Amino acid sequence: MKDEDVRRYLDGETEMDAMDDQARSEARSWDRLLAAFRAETPGAPAPPWLENRVMARIEALPEPGLARRAWSWLLRPRPLRLSPATLGLAAAAVVALVLLPGRRGPAPTGDAGGAAATVVYVQFDLRAPDARSVAVGGDFDEWQGSYPLEDPDGDGIWTGRVPVKPGLYAYMFLVNGSKWVTDPEAAHHTDDGFGNRNAVLAVTAPAT
Amino acid sequence: MAPPAERTDAQVVRDVLAGDRDAYRLLVRRYGDALHAHALRMVGSQDVAADLAQEAFVTGYRKLGSLRAPERVGAWLFRILANVVRDHLRRTRRRHISLHVLPEIPAPQRGPDEDTVDADVRTRVRQALAKLTPEQQEAFVLKHVEGRSYEEIAAVMDLSVAALKMRVHRAREALQGLLKEFA
Repeated sequence: MKDEDVRRYLDGETEMDAMDDQARSEARSWDRLLAAFRAETPGAPAPPWLENRVMARIEALPEPGLARRAWSWLLRPRPLRLSPATLGLAAAAVVALVLLPGRRGPAPTGDAGGAAATVVYVQFDLRAPDARSVAVGGDFDEWQGSYPLEDPDGDGIWTGRVPVKPGLYAYMFLVNGSKWVTDPEAAHHTDDGFGNRNAVLAVTAPAT
Repeated sequence: MAPPAERTDAQVVRDVLAGDRDAYRLLVRRYGDALHAHALRMVGSQDVAADLAQEAFVTGYRKLGSLRAPERVGAWLFRILANVVRDHLRRTRRRHISLHVLPEIPAPQRGPDEDTVDADVRTRVRQALAKLTPEQQEAFVLKHVEGRSYEEIAAVMDLSVAALKMRVHRAREALQGLLKEFA
């Protein structure tokens, strides 16, 4: 009961006066500890150069225009309605595009360019029936989890395509915006140093 | 067009998307301090915090077209920063598992309460915080250092309030275990 009282106090759900002496004593210890944390993790205003550096980087980006708006439109998540028959055909097409027989994990699904500019679209899938959102992130997007997957038919299978350049990438799924989940279907994994496993994705340029 | 200082966030976002990329400067001015302060509390180094804030703003600019609620661009940028910081912590802690080397933290302004905290405790407080998972640290800092409401934090971390409370509780438990003789 004491622990619960302290917990409620720390969560702002009850006052110190409403607790017994023992709980009050522990609450005071926590107040002192939290004061130490506040003292040791001070914030500070941004340095004056931040604004100019941000703007310099932005100005170095390609001019936003029709191409950017078109690209944004293409990448914008939208519901995709497929009949079972169409889905079957699409799945068959994806399987046919898998480069290595018997490989598991995400599958490259196409090429959007040639030579150094080659981009391969990789299909990611995760079964997560209880998820509110699923995205994929990894070395290819600086672990932003910036590529949302979709489950338009509500069957719990989240899927999406991500454009990546050929290379070796670690990745994970970001479930509900905060929980990183290892791809259980990946062919290879690597230890992330915290007892978790990152899936490893090898993307090769399609043969020309 | 309204003077820069009078433009609402939503107007600024619309202007940037319409091609006035310099208008983005207003958002950096409005939210730079808040983003930098949070990053600093999480990583402890002013240089790294500024780099992370910079990264968040550039990412925000790139993704501005996907923003559904332009009037909430500040919260949206903060959420991007939180992701950037989380990722940074995952990567750096992966490489530097040893916690003997602590990040540089600027000397804080001491209040009357903090005067009683000795240097040894301060050092252990910093070590303990660095031993939490990035997610626990983030939840703890947002709640108990920045004093944000659970509802606000839940929106940043995309968690339910119940799940968030449990995460903060777990963080406190972990810290209590690490600082037994203090709490």
